[in-house]
Amino acid sequence: MPGFTFDLAVVIVIALAGAMLFLPQFIASRIEAGRRAKAEWSNAQLRADMLLEELLTTSEYQQLNERRYLEVVSPSNPERAYRLPRAPGRVAVFERGVHIENLCVQPVDQVPEGDIILTHKLMIEGSEQEYLRLAVHFEPRPRVPMRRDNVVSWSVWHD
Amino acid sequence: MAVLRVLSRHGDSRVEWDADAVAQGDAEAMAAVQEAERIFATERSRGSVAFRIFHGRPAQRMDTFDPSADDVVIVPRVAGG
Repeated sequence: MPGFTFDLAVVIVIALAGAMLFLPQFIASRIEAGRRAKAEWSNAQLRADMLLEELLTTSEYQQLNERRYLEVVSPSNPERAYRLPRAPGRVAVFERGVHIENLCVQPVDQVPEGDIILTHKLMIEGSEQEYLRLAVHFEPRPRVPMRRDNVVSWSVWHD
Repeated sequence: MAVLRVLSRHGDSRVEWDADAVAQGDAEAMAAVQEAERIFATERSRGSVAFRIFHGRPAQRMDTFDPSADDVVIVPRVAGG
């Protein structure tokens, strides 16, 4: 029995020594991996924003930065417009200035925010019917004003 | 230079080729076009969608690779959330 206790103590001492030796290295490697992943993601966000600036017109890019959304007119119905939010969120659909619904649709792969906006824009312009078929449609509730200067929509928000 | 861009979690990756050099049969340019065509096919098989970009005009969906397209962007498949 004393021999067993001694063996157990030796095993515990070795385990503790091993943990003290390798744990700091393990933690440091995890911190470094996290820092690298954060830097890569930040670089991807930057690239996506540069691509947006390259592919949008000056007025589109300006609208996106000033109003925090990009308005894309429906290719099939000039009275319908999609408002793509700068930050992740639902796409608001307006017809004749009235907020008629929200769409929940997103890329299946994780991509930076700028690339999400570009994906929405290209899908609407080049494949609108498929985009609408894939999206989940929501009533615009709560009826929050999307544009405070939009008098037509104001009556709808307060009905 | 013509360009094919693929959107991914790393930002966009690009393959570029010189359409004039392709027309003249330049080996390097031909290899770049073949690489772009391979990427196009691979991404399409994953469900990604390709668009031909016209600056200042609405984009056009591309279901088959066209080496004469100046600017092509491939976006991930979308789904309702």
